[in-house]
Amino acid sequence: MARIGVFVCHCGENIASVVDCERVAKISASLPGVTYATDYKYMCSDPGQDLIKSAIAEHNLNGVVVAACSPHMHETTFRKAAQQAGLNPYLCEMANIREHCSWVHDDHEKATQKAIDLVRIMVEKVRRNHPLEPVRVSVTKRALVIGGGIAGIQAALDMANGGIEVVLVEKEPSIGGHMAQLSETFPTLDCSQCILTPKMVEVAQHPNIKLYTYSEVENVSGFVGNFKVTVRKKARSVNMELCNGCGLCTQKCPSRKIPNEFDRGLSNRSAIYIPFPQAIPNKPVIDRDHCIHFKTGKCGVCEKVCGTKAIDFDQQDELVNEEVGAIVVATGYDLYNISMDQPNDKLEGYGEYGYGKYPDVIDGLQFERLLSATGPTGGKILRPSDGKEPKNVVFISCVGSRHNAKGITYCSKICCTYIAKHGMLYKHKVPDGNAYVFYMDVRTSGKRFDEFWRRAVEEDGLVYLRGRVSKIYEQDGHLIVKGADTLSGVAVEVEADLVVLATAIVPQPNIEKLFQNLGISYDEYNFVTEAHPKLRPVESSTAGIFLAGACHSPKDIPESVAQASAAASKALILLSKPELEREPLVAKVNEATCIGCFYCLRACPAKAITEKEIKNRAGEVLRKVSEVNPSVCTGCGTCVSVCFSNSIDLEGFTDEQIYAEINSVIERMSVIQQ
Amino acid sequence: MNDERTLKIREIAKELLSKGEIAVFIGYGKGTCNGKARPIFVRTPEEADELIFDSTCSNNLVTYLKFPAVRDEGVVGIVVKGCDAKALVGLIRESQLMREQVRIVAVTCEGVVADDGQLQLRCQYCDVANPTFYDFLVGSPVEDQKPRDFSGLLEKYETMSVEERWEFWQSQFEKCIRCYACRQACPLCYCTRCIVEKNQPQWIETSSHLRGNFAWNIIRAFHLAGRCAGCGACEDACPVDIPLMLLNYKLEKEIWDYFHYRVDLDPESVPPFTTFKTDDRGEFIL
Ligand SMILES: Cc1cc2nc3c(=O)[nH]c(=O)nc-3n(C[C@H](O)[C@H](O)[C@H](O)COP(=O)(O)OP(=O)(O)OC[C@H]3O[C@@H](n4cnc5c(N)ncnc54)[C@H](O)[C@@H]3O)c2cc1C
Ligand code: SF4
Ligand code: SF4
Repeated sequence: MARIGVFVCHCGENIASVVDCERVAKISASLPGVTYATDYKYMCSDPGQDLIKSAIAEHNLNGVVVAACSPHMHETTFRKAAQQAGLNPYLCEMANIREHCSWVHDDHEKATQKAIDLVRIMVEKVRRNHPLEPVRVSVTKRALVIGGGIAGIQAALDMANGGIEVVLVEKEPSIGGHMAQLSETFPTLDCSQCILTPKMVEVAQHPNIKLYTYSEVENVSGFVGNFKVTVRKKARSVNMELCNGCGLCTQKCPSRKIPNEFDRGLSNRSAIYIPFPQAIPNKPVIDRDHCIHFKTGKCGVCEKVCGTKAIDFDQQDELVNEEVGAIVVATGYDLYNISMDQPNDKLEGYGEYGYGKYPDVIDGLQFERLLSATGPTGGKILRPSDGKEPKNVVFISCVGSRHNAKGITYCSKICCTYIAKHGMLYKHKVPDGNAYVFYMDVRTSGKRFDEFWRRAVEEDGLVYLRGRVSKIYEQDGHLIVKGADTLSGVAVEVEADLVVLATAIVPQPNIEKLFQNLGISYDEYNFVTEAHPKLRPVESSTAGIFLAGACHSPKDIPESVAQASAAASKALILLSKPELEREPLVAKVNEATCIGCFYCLRACPAKAITEKEIKNRAGEVLRKVSEVNPSVCTGCGTCVSVCFSNSIDLEGFTDEQIYAEINSVIERMSVIQQ
Repeated sequence: MNDERTLKIREIAKELLSKGEIAVFIGYGKGTCNGKARPIFVRTPEEADELIFDSTCSNNLVTYLKFPAVRDEGVVGIVVKGCDAKALVGLIRESQLMREQVRIVAVTCEGVVADDGQLQLRCQYCDVANPTFYDFLVGSPVEDQKPRDFSGLLEKYETMSVEERWEFWQSQFEKCIRCYACRQACPLCYCTRCIVEKNQPQWIETSSHLRGNFAWNIIRAFHLAGRCAGCGACEDACPVDIPLMLLNYKLEKEIWDYFHYRVDLDPESVPPFTTFKTDDRGEFIL
């Protein structure tokens, strides 16, 4: 006999302001199978949980329905409470009367009716629940970090120092990410390379870190504690063991007119190249798209000059398999491009700024390269078109960002501070020059950031003009920047020698493919979403996969590093356990009716299904059926939907339960209709 | 009247039986009504002289292979037309049959006729007149490979308003007496416990009532989506003439449009409903 308790939560005002919780409780008490029902202001609070626990004891409940928020929020909380009161946790379910009801309706009467229906449905489900035991699985004590920017580097070092073997996969030929391209960093103006390079070297030398550069994650399967990862090591065309990094090949290579990615096209590189002087590993790679040998079969100069015979034109991509228990995603960002070609039709380029056709309209990272001592100009501010020192420089904020019409609504967060930095560093190098900043708001929140931009204005004399720039065009060798100063209400025109755009921070191109492969969720812009915006900011939606750095949202270095260490410690906590418990909400095969077509085996995204032989006493195989490995099954239910003999059920979501849930509403609807 | 295919089939059956390579040979024999051929099981070389092949050999013999009692006899020799071969390959693809359990005698086919002597509907769309999956091929190649384009057939129904279409199917399903002949005749409806016989919960009402009839007929068609061989056995078997092939063809068309998949003679081909791909088209998901 079902003895179910129903606990209706007000969630402060969240639910109670729309739903009559008292009435929901009163009516719930009369539903078949319900022994006890009550309502309370905050069910998740200590007294609220106590209420549930004592009711379980007092009324000898064998099932619990908590009508409150989303199970995403508090299912674990309430299941734990039920368990503490001696009930199997899987006999406790939640009816979501907040997200599915009070937050989306304003008609009090109808919302209350719906809340009652949601409770009714869950009661029918719980009546058919049965006790389940968690699945126990072992843990692979290794971790994978994807992306070798500052965030990935920090996470890898922290975990490696914690005694865990770390596999670090970086898609470029060197680790370092965007931080390696920066000149000096706000708010302290210390040299980016100087603080980054030691960490890069530490990665290379760390006994616990296995580094794959020029590599990408090709496939991920498995689950928390036991991921199986396939890494594609792209052919470098250079034998890393033989190469000693002398760099002679890069000097002799005749194909030299290739835009240098590291300098963001402001200089050229050869087809065989080391991305930058401090690269880790400091060994070259052949860019096959531009190599004369790969294009025509001729040349081979590098092969001839290489003293160690390290050039290997026949090298092939290599696939390696790694097993890890936890994954940190740190794939970083890219910059929005104002050109006409956009990755999707939601984004629009900037025709009014010439779609990128003026060489002296550059982006922030290009300006970093001009400022950098290792950059194309050796740290001198010389403009790309004619190599002259610009005397009037205009910085424009929010290019792409916060610009609904252009398709990006968010704030890129770091630009305001780096614009102040850029203006400041420019003035240090060109004291007689003028720096103008067109801005929307100045948003320099962060420790000592506001002081930093004030210094830029007060000490270095940057001129801030509030307003969007409506047009940039060329006239007599100058760039005319047309905008408005909305504070004084006048139109402004600046004759500029160089324009620096603070273009929006966007995720890496096509990164959603990786996220799909990992099975983690991402937002409409392709930034990874966190498991909970406040309470679980470094966890992804998938257990065992954590996130760090700008792949999550625009971030500066201190934030990226903090998040990386947080992700690393989350991963270390996970890997410190001898075994993991997994939800037993997994698929189960009815062997009596399974016809053995094995469609489920093919369809299962987790590869959790195998063939099982049914034998008679003599050991002869009578037939074969499907079998689910509960420690691999993710409970997605794909197999249930492909099984036409209806022989697979999902524990906790059985056909019987779903049928009863649907029936309970249909029955009530037919009552209403009569 | 015996065409060369008849003689060849007899010869092969005799040889396989006398060498003991097969336990039973399933083919066609002379029928007793309408002059239409009927299925026969041949177990001795002598009996093989009863085998025939002509344009009345409409039945899909592969249906017998779904029964364990038949497979348990040993290796089975069987005559298949192209459409039947698709069903046989389906059984292999779905692990119901092992390739070595059968010796396949495929016949080239210019089409078979229904009881009324008219060419069967399915033959107008046949793309396997010259089967490519067999141990023995009988008959000379025929030119007839027709496009599998059902748009002409389906247009009438696809252009109906939702109400009209609902009414049309209501009038069809009303007739269903729930004899499950469609299921029994279908070579690919082989579950030992069909969903309609599951009663915990009972998703499909079993009494012959419009609501349950709808559920049954639609679920039957959906369970064959991406699997149906298009052999027409179900429609032929239906005693109340429900045009089941309309449903089957519609689903075949949809699956082609959506996933570019069509049931073929390759046991390795992968029906779309049996895979999980993150890049599957999903615009129908809200
Ligand atoms: C113009 C400009 C100036 C800035 N100045 C400052 C400053 O002064 N101070 C400050 O604190 N911050 C500054 N920043 C911000 C700083 O660049 C970022 O905070 C920091 O680089 C974020 O690090 P990350 O590791 O998250 O990402 P990234 O630096 O982008 O690193 C990501 C790494 O992951 C790799 N990767 C990407 N996809 C894959 C994949 N699929 N597989 C494997 N590897 C992959 C990339 O190649 C890259 O190496 C500035 C940013 C800009 C644009
Ligand atoms: S529910 Fe089925 S398809 Fe999904 S992971 Fe489990 S076994 Fe695989
Ligand atoms: S559904 Fe009908 S046409 Fe399709 S394979 Fe089965 S019997 Fe043949």
